[in-house]
Amino acid sequence: MSMVAKKRARTLILAGVGLSAVMILGACASGSTETASSHVVAEHYFSGDLGAQAFAEIWPLCEQQTGITMDNPTIDHEAFKDAILVQLAGGNAPDLFSYWAGARTQSLIDNGQLDPIDDMWSAAGLDAAIPASIADSAATYGGSKYLLPFVYHYAGMFFNPAVLEEAGITEIPTDWDGLMSMAETLKAQGITPFALGSTDRWPAQFWFDYLILRTAGPEYRAALMSGEASYDDPEVVAALELWKEAIDAGYFNTSPNGSGWTDAADQVARGEAAMTLMGTWITGYWDGNGLVAGTDYDFFPFPQINSDVALASVGPVDGWVMPSGAKNQAGAKQVLECLASPEAQKVMALLQGAIAANSNTDLSSQNAVMQKAAKQVADSEAFVFNYDLATPPAVAEVGLNMFVEFIDNPSDIAGILSSTATKAAAAF
Amino acid sequence: MTVKSGRWAALFLAVPLGLYFTFVVGPSLYSFYYGFTDWNFLTGEANFTGLDNFRRLFADADFWSAFQNTIIWTALGLVISVFGGFWLAMALSRLLILERFVKSLFFLPMALSLVVVGFIWTWIYRLDFGFANIVLRMLGYEDLATAWLADRNWALFAVIFAWSWQQVALSMIVFLAGLTSVPKELMEAATIDGARFRHQLNQVIIPSLRPATGVVISLALINSLKSFDIVWVMTGGGPFQQSETLAVLIYRQAFRSYEFGYSSTIAVALFVITLVIIGGSILANRRGAE
Repeated sequence: MSMVAKKRARTLILAGVGLSAVMILGACASGSTETASSHVVAEHYFSGDLGAQAFAEIWPLCEQQTGITMDNPTIDHEAFKDAILVQLAGGNAPDLFSYWAGARTQSLIDNGQLDPIDDMWSAAGLDAAIPASIADSAATYGGSKYLLPFVYHYAGMFFNPAVLEEAGITEIPTDWDGLMSMAETLKAQGITPFALGSTDRWPAQFWFDYLILRTAGPEYRAALMSGEASYDDPEVVAALELWKEAIDAGYFNTSPNGSGWTDAADQVARGEAAMTLMGTWITGYWDGNGLVAGTDYDFFPFPQINSDVALASVGPVDGWVMPSGAKNQAGAKQVLECLASPEAQKVMALLQGAIAANSNTDLSSQNAVMQKAAKQVADSEAFVFNYDLATPPAVAEVGLNMFVEFIDNPSDIAGILSSTATKAAAAF
Repeated sequence: MTVKSGRWAALFLAVPLGLYFTFVVGPSLYSFYYGFTDWNFLTGEANFTGLDNFRRLFADADFWSAFQNTIIWTALGLVISVFGGFWLAMALSRLLILERFVKSLFFLPMALSLVVVGFIWTWIYRLDFGFANIVLRMLGYEDLATAWLADRNWALFAVIFAWSWQQVALSMIVFLAGLTSVPKELMEAATIDGARFRHQLNQVIIPSLRPATGVVISLALINSLKSFDIVWVMTGGGPFQQSETLAVLIYRQAFRSYEFGYSSTIAVALFVITLVIIGGSILANRRGAE
């Protein structure tokens, strides 16, 4: 190669390296020319069957109300739990994000990751709109408001009315013996009484929650969730013994750990199983598949076991939180006001099978089953978060593993609970 | 190499080396440091705890369970990769028709990411309409049909089998390339001398494939020791940690139990284990070559 050609080649190569460097630096730099207050990034986990359709309506509504353009990345419900932690640690959090009320929010607050929203709460007059029980349990941490309750769900025994009718069952059970008797009747006719899809572990928690609540009561459960009681206590053993009774009698579907919650829902919809203990989001799933509330599905509350304990309802509260150091706090608070509004919550509640946190939300058009669920919660003596939101995340990890291990081998209650007690104590 | 070309080489190497040190070596060294702390990922706080994490590691039943699963995976993965890849390559090298089409078909799994492989096999293993159970039922083995990924005895092996489906394709390609370097004149001479296939295999083919075998073994060891994505997608390490490997345990301790310091300790342990296994493999390969 001649000297001139060599020089030309060298120049070209240097120019290429320089251009690459400029491009890389440019990609790293913020490229937005919009003003900060006109743009908000709101991240959430209401993906797929859990709310994608609702947010296709909610975001345009909020953009119209606030004049703010929204970036709203949606992350898979399970993947969100990890992804948001990475973003928070990397200082790359959105301006606001959806989160679960309870121990998970408390965990973020304890690590200084969230900012309070008291000013937004007062300005929007939410004390008059959000029931005190929800505000106190879901929104308030250490005396300050950190979470905007958006919607909440109720876990009940959702059943296929046609299956019960065909089996000749006319009365809904109100106690444990009644439930077992109904299960025996169904099983005798070749119908699986209870469908459970616990491959993701969390669907199994509702059985544990209600068995503990109905036998030992909400106060004991609160102690267990906070580490003041132990997993090898007689109360926990007693609850698992009842669960074992149902498993040993063959009242559950084959291999619950091998199916998901939608598989269990499908079994009930097809009439292969009679009922499944699940949250009200199942109604959104069934509605989306063309089932009709009241005709194709209904629910009854988990029956009473110990008449001396309060009848509590279980369910998660989905809310919105603002991370510390959000780039657009002012804009985020405006969006929060929109999400607190009856209009936005109505969309989510109607499409997703949820109960709106804002009591001014007009849900008269909601189906009869959901209205019954909302009344059930309102009439309950207590409303508690489900297991994996009621106890610290590290402990929840231990408990969720315990549930699926128990389902796989219900004969080893002592061994399983002993191991769980040790691991939970370490996690606390 | 002249001094000037050496400078140009250094200049161009600086960029990739800089990236490598920044994004690979640096974080690895940080991980070593955090393994000796109670690192809080969210706040960044990390207090030195000495050897406490390592003492905990040696007493942790979850660690030893994951260690056992990782060793089982590595051993099985190695055997399946080497033998499966070799015999597949031997069979494909003797194809007389549609050679390229068939080779492409067997190579197809390599075009998929492990996450996609995991999703495909999750559906194959389903209890109700999974292909595996459909075949078993058709063949009259109804009793053997199970929810493979929820079965405590089979979950780990089911995931290893799915992983091997892709790994064998990679091994096959390496062996196919190696087979092209088997000296034809040696094969012809062996044939003329009346050597049977078994003798040709042992005396000509296998010795000629030593470099390729070394590559397959290294790839299988590395890929099996770092197995995470396919496990996470298929079982999440379940049921109740029965299919949990060390890589999955690292992730779970960090992002589910919020034990980032201890998670780093496990990562250090995995690094040492990997060093021992890969180092041993390289030494064994060198001695064999000598």
